[in-house]
Amino acid sequence: MKLLEIKDLRARYGAGEVLKGFDLSVDQGEIVALLGANGAGKSTTLRAISGLVPHVAGSITLDGKSLLGQTTEAIARLGVSHVPEGRRVFPGLTVRENVILGASNRRISGADTKREVDQKFDLFPDLRRLADVLGWTLSGGQLQMVAIARGLMANPRVLLLDEPSLGLAPLIVQQVFKVIGEIRKLGTTVLLVEQNAHMALSVADRGYVLETGNLLVQGKPDELWNDPQVRAAYLGGMAAG
Amino acid sequence: MATFLQLLFTGLGIGAIYALVALGFVLLIRAASVVNFAQGQFSMVGAYLLVVGFNVLGLPYYLSMFLSVVLMAGFGVLFAGATYWPLRHRGGLPVIISTIGASIFLENIVLFLYGPSPEVLPGLFDSPGIQVGPVFMDSQYLSILVASTILVILQYLIFEKTLLGKKLQATSQDKEMASLLGIPVVAMILITFGYSAALGGLAGMLVAPVLFVSVGMGGLIALKAFAANIIGGYGSIPGAILGGLLLGVAETLGASYISVPYKDAFAFAMLLMFLMVRPQGLFGEKISEKA
Ligand SMILES: Nc1ncnc2c1ncn2[C@@H]1O[C@H](COP(=O)(O)OP(=O)(O)OP(=O)(O)O)[C@@H](O)[C@H]1O
Ligand SMILES: [Mg+2]
Repeated sequence: MKLLEIKDLRARYGAGEVLKGFDLSVDQGEIVALLGANGAGKSTTLRAISGLVPHVAGSITLDGKSLLGQTTEAIARLGVSHVPEGRRVFPGLTVRENVILGASNRRISGADTKREVDQKFDLFPDLRRLADVLGWTLSGGQLQMVAIARGLMANPRVLLLDEPSLGLAPLIVQQVFKVIGEIRKLGTTVLLVEQNAHMALSVADRGYVLETGNLLVQGKPDELWNDPQVRAAYLGGMAAG
Repeated sequence: MATFLQLLFTGLGIGAIYALVALGFVLLIRAASVVNFAQGQFSMVGAYLLVVGFNVLGLPYYLSMFLSVVLMAGFGVLFAGATYWPLRHRGGLPVIISTIGASIFLENIVLFLYGPSPEVLPGLFDSPGIQVGPVFMDSQYLSILVASTILVILQYLIFEKTLLGKKLQATSQDKEMASLLGIPVVAMILITFGYSAALGGLAGMLVAPVLFVSVGMGGLIALKAFAANIIGGYGSIPGAILGGLLLGVAETLGASYISVPYKDAFAFAMLLMFLMVRPQGLFGEKISEKA
């Protein structure tokens, strides 16, 4: 059984259908990349998994349990941790407080929380120094690190990452993807949404490419990389790298 | 000078009441983006509950107060279910209108049960007060000041030093993100309503011995508290406290040195002045925090 299984997923906001029925699955321990141009429906897919899209049809299951129709809080408790587009770090809370709140859906002692926060700071050493700084003062790269650290505190069955590289300087992007590589070593399953196909496919086991709500193609990174349709339609010039 | 200090004391006492009611306003604005126009009626209902407990049922004063605060917290949750919950996805205005409706409803219910003649409640202490240097500290004003200080400290500790407080803050800053972390957003909002009602009710009970307990007592307090909220900085917690105190002192000094009949006008003159000169209030917050 797949850990996360999506079948014939359809979603709309109001009248226009944004996801037009496709299948996607993620195995335990895998990193799966979900690629596509602006507006393809990548974020909507993640938001549908988290129960944030009001009109969804098809099926979404985690470990065979249906997520459809459950509240966002319940989905989080089942082990879905969603690091959304725009990072959404709480501006009025400190870095440490933000990270601690990542464990909101777990029963965990104060001492264990402390230890786990410390582990996250090992993953992102910059955060240790910023632990007591308020969220709104952070730079984009720092915000992304807080958001991922917070997402990992849920000890999730599957981590949903929405465009972690968006708007970051190349050096920071490298750093973020290095951590995604380390996350995989810890055995965390990841569904990674990216526009930066090059970086995403470098860490992923498999990938899917969406185009205006439809699945264009799926496969292993090198298959996608060499797919003429994908090259032409989406990866374009970047594939040269 | 002696008169001034005396007035300062009284003004701070009244201001503390405004501050407590203003805090109730601010917490709901932050947690649920709700401007609760029945916040003043929370104070009125609280005071009447004390009347029922102490005057009617003859329970001990402190027990009546305690029970009333607990009932008010429960009342706040019911209030949320009636006014906020059905309209929560419709934006701010429908909820505002429904809280205005609820405030009228509450006043009329109490009017129906108790009639228009005001009730009288004794103070917390039998002693009228103590003389400290040139200032006579009325025991009820003293109680108000002490109780408010304790409440503010307690609230600070809850919001800043506990995990629950952090979850409440997270909910007020970004509900969707809070729910993605598994924070029960609905429970957080209901807790805030309950707390806010308990706070408003307690303010009403504290001020009751100084004023009369009447159906209309909440309206004016709420107006002043709302003004305090704007003077202090819309949605700011320290602003609500300082704004309330400032307003209480200003109107007490104004009434004494200038004119008693225009007492309430000073509060609103001050509000207008702030709106013209410093519309963001004393602690105007960063836009990013309100987004
Ligand atoms: N809240 C919304 N209401 C209406 N339409 C929306 C909403 N959110 C997204 N859409 C539309 O749905 C489509 C898919 O959007 P989505 O955000 O899922 O794309 P995306 O692949 O994540 O794009 P990007 O790379 O820009 O983040 C777009 O056409 C977008 O305009
Ligand atoms: Mg997106």
